[in-house]
Amino acid sequence: MNHIRVGHFLAIIFIFFTHYLNAQVSLSGTVTDAASGETLIGTAIEVLEWNTGTLTNEYGFYTLSGPSVENATIVISYIGYKPYSIKLNLSKNERLDVKLNPDSEQLEEVVVTANSYKDRINSTEMSTTSVTPLEAKKIPALLGEVDIIKTLQLKPGISSGSEGNSGIFVRGGNQDQNLIVLDEAIVYNASHLFGFFSVFNSDAIKDVKVYKGGFPSQYGGRLSSVIDVKLKEGNNQKFSGTGGIGLISSRLTLEGPIQKEKSSFIVSGRRTYVDLITNGINSANKNKENYNQIPAYHFYDLNTKINFELGKKDRLFMSGYFGRDAFAFTNGNFDFNFYWGNATGTARWNHIFNDKLFSNTTFTYSDYKYNINNKLTGFSFDLKSRIQDANIKSDFYYSPNSQHLIRAGFSATHHKFTVGRLQAGSDDGTIKFGSGLYPEGAELGLYAMDDYSFDQNLKINWGIRLSSFIHKDKTYFNFEPRAGAKYSLNERVSLKASYAKMVQYIHLISNSGVTLPTDIWYPSTQNVAPEISHQVAAGYNYILGDGYLLGHEFYYKWLKNQIDFKDNARLFANDNVEEEFAFGDGYSYGTEVELEKNTGKLTGWIGYTLALVKRGNFPNIMSGRYFSPRYDRRHNLTVVAMYQLNKKWNLSATFVYGSGDLTWLPIGKFSFQDIDGTQINFITPSYGDRNTFRMPSYNRLDIGFVRTFKHRWGESDLTFSAYNVYNRRNVYFYYTDIEFKDIMQGGVTIQVPSKVALKQVSLFPIIPSITWNFKF
Amino acid sequence: MFKKLAVLFYIGSIIGFYSCNLEKSVNVELPPYESQKILECYLEPGKPFRALLTKSSPYFSELDFSDLTRILATILEDSAKVQIKYGNQTVVLTNTLSLDQINEKVYNYSSTELVPADYSSEFELEIILQDGKKITSKTKISPPVAIDSVRVEYNQEMKARALTYISDNPNTKDYYRRMLNLNSLKDSIPKQDFLADDQILQGSTRLVFGSGFQFKKNDTLYNSILRINKDYFDFLSSVKNAVSNNGNPFGQPGVIFSNLQGTTNALGIFTGFTTVRDTTYIR
Repeated sequence: MNHIRVGHFLAIIFIFFTHYLNAQVSLSGTVTDAASGETLIGTAIEVLEWNTGTLTNEYGFYTLSGPSVENATIVISYIGYKPYSIKLNLSKNERLDVKLNPDSEQLEEVVVTANSYKDRINSTEMSTTSVTPLEAKKIPALLGEVDIIKTLQLKPGISSGSEGNSGIFVRGGNQDQNLIVLDEAIVYNASHLFGFFSVFNSDAIKDVKVYKGGFPSQYGGRLSSVIDVKLKEGNNQKFSGTGGIGLISSRLTLEGPIQKEKSSFIVSGRRTYVDLITNGINSANKNKENYNQIPAYHFYDLNTKINFELGKKDRLFMSGYFGRDAFAFTNGNFDFNFYWGNATGTARWNHIFNDKLFSNTTFTYSDYKYNINNKLTGFSFDLKSRIQDANIKSDFYYSPNSQHLIRAGFSATHHKFTVGRLQAGSDDGTIKFGSGLYPEGAELGLYAMDDYSFDQNLKINWGIRLSSFIHKDKTYFNFEPRAGAKYSLNERVSLKASYAKMVQYIHLISNSGVTLPTDIWYPSTQNVAPEISHQVAAGYNYILGDGYLLGHEFYYKWLKNQIDFKDNARLFANDNVEEEFAFGDGYSYGTEVELEKNTGKLTGWIGYTLALVKRGNFPNIMSGRYFSPRYDRRHNLTVVAMYQLNKKWNLSATFVYGSGDLTWLPIGKFSFQDIDGTQINFITPSYGDRNTFRMPSYNRLDIGFVRTFKHRWGESDLTFSAYNVYNRRNVYFYYTDIEFKDIMQGGVTIQVPSKVALKQVSLFPIIPSITWNFKF
Repeated sequence: MFKKLAVLFYIGSIIGFYSCNLEKSVNVELPPYESQKILECYLEPGKPFRALLTKSSPYFSELDFSDLTRILATILEDSAKVQIKYGNQTVVLTNTLSLDQINEKVYNYSSTELVPADYSSEFELEIILQDGKKITSKTKISPPVAIDSVRVEYNQEMKARALTYISDNPNTKDYYRRMLNLNSLKDSIPKQDFLADDQILQGSTRLVFGSGFQFKKNDTLYNSILRINKDYFDFLSSVKNAVSNNGNPFGQPGVIFSNLQGTTNALGIFTGFTTVRDTTYIR
């Protein structure tokens, strides 16, 4: 059966590449930033006489085909850049590489708006959103740390795990159901400081795009979203730098040409410095008796990238990320160290075969690990988990004529896991114990898709993906159809619909609601089936007027083979961890509305999400009944506004409102006497159904303002922000406090617990911050 | 303008920051709760057959604790018929309030008969409540494990730690509860109290329970190793998990495991275990 399916798939690909080899002229090339040489993703290219257009792909390349035209008008536009127009004879295949100039008066350029929104109207793509570092920098940030992931959390359909956390939940999916890629290498734990900051340094980022549904066939391996982060390539025109000094960290980015216009580099680093202060305090007090050392904590990350133009048709990129969090505590009794972090590497080769065929071949390596070790006199303890991926993938873009844009490719990944490796024992070797699993797996994907324009109004995107996962002698095989369609009612309104089946072969072992460094990954095995989702979405885009776009979507998602954990699961140092898994189903549905404005002095968006998510059918959880996960928030409203007062001042504000998280509170209590040699626990909590109590709603207003200064050496700015400006006490968690009462018994006063009081704890009051940024 | 804005911004922020209190008491309404019968019945060779049968109450309810008699009346579930069968023996536990003064434990069902060191028989519990509903359960008593040795080590400050060694049988799946009491077993919160199984030994046979350098001269350490069964391991794990994750924003609570069956919604444990104890004096 599987062989027949593979045969059909290959036949379809063959048809694609032969059927459309009919004669038409083509226009192809790349679009770059004239000032820095950076390729521009999503630039609109239109040939007016062909009455068609396209966008540059994620590598800045475009290709268009149509009938031979003399003196054709080509218009190229990208938001924030001066539009470019040229007349060309398109009587034969033409290559047109364009350098766009940044427009200092960009925000008032209406034509750019029209084009930008027009692309959204005309594209089959839906359920996507993107954020640029420029946007993220304008929005007020917690402690002044610009965080592109937290900016994404302000978009409809995307929510955070808990306050201040950079974990992401998309359309009812779990946080492990997001595929986060940095220059095509998977990032397994995208957060620092237990989730309060993401690993992405916005100075090094070029573009972030998120798919919440309608997934293109080239993506697979996760159920709920794809977060595609692209690093800058480095300025190939001149040496330049950016940086900043903030309350908790400082950062520096240097970039420049290796050979002007041919090759460039970028190096970007960031480090926190709280540990430098705490180390100083510890040193000053080291001779004091009874002084308790303050634990040392820091994180850092480093991004590098180089790229070389190897001729007109070939370009080579190499990039890497390395980041670590480190926590250490030492005293007379023990020496405790805990560190975790990601490392990724990407080598990418772009090749233009001809005007119609472009390829991208990538090798990536991803590594996430954490390590906890503790040394006591004569004994040591070491706990480690890790996931390592080696991946190769190749993508081909083929545009045989103006109606078709075909993409096909494959990917192969080798996953290597270290799950809860514990080694402990005495230094003399007489005592030794441990645990650990070392599974491996191979994940394969083969896909093809076609973006097909029937006419001016109707366009469809359909594709298939064949995926497979091999673990020991168990092989899973899945057929993942994808489809999307767009119908334009007129130049301002288009209707869209999509369907996508997604399959996930590796799973996060975590039962906390937030991103923790100790969360570990586990593959599909004989007993652990891949997770599957089917998502349908429908909606419309409507250009309300110059500068405003209204997007509205409805979605429904079916989730199969979902993984949860039995009550009181032992997830650490457990060689039989699969016994702790529970398998069930789920569903989510909702609607998302977004009104955005990206030009003029006032820019921003208003987003609203109405959503519901359920999990159930887990035999070991609530007898299979359905329940809501913690992050099942019914309403979410975000308002983001950025106002450019003048060339010196930028103001911004963010308002967030969301239904409260669900929490699992005890409903009963009993006295637990326990055995001899112990004390009675009078108030032992007893839990009923999961997540039945909803916390009060969450709301917060942040404000920020930026003052820009010009210098002879470049420019700088002071960024002020205030998080939670009206000091709302949003609930972070509840805890219980036992109230005691004195009673007399036999002439002796004894204390007995009389009742339980519930206390709420908030995490962040108003938090002002200031950051100095510079650019030269 | 810049200076004025900055000053205003910071004054406002500082006032806001210091005027906030990040913690406060709240009242919430929980779903209706039906009281459960709670049973603790531990069979330990050499000790009397005895059980504590109580009832639970809504989590935020205030109990009438004006005196001890009222507390007991509020908590205890009396007037049930309780019996334990093993082999061809039947032990009836009578509904009498008894206080173990040495260990400060209360039981409302007991017998004068002592639990035998019978590690092969199955013990069957049957409780018939006043309303005729039943609670049943079965268990076995796990045989004892010997403490091979207790090694005391000193650091430079002459603080001591104790390393307690046992030999695990690699052919059986074994569960342990380790307790370390300081100076007194009576009404003493154990310095250490945790559960372990032999999974982490990976074929090795020696298991060691250690402590930090936290003891001083003239301390008395009561090292207790209990060999327990899986039901008790799961029950105690779930109780500890429920207590420790109550209010932990990073944790996940859970429903408490119970090995009770029957026709009523009861929660608790009926189990047998053995304890070996070593007393060590720090010199």
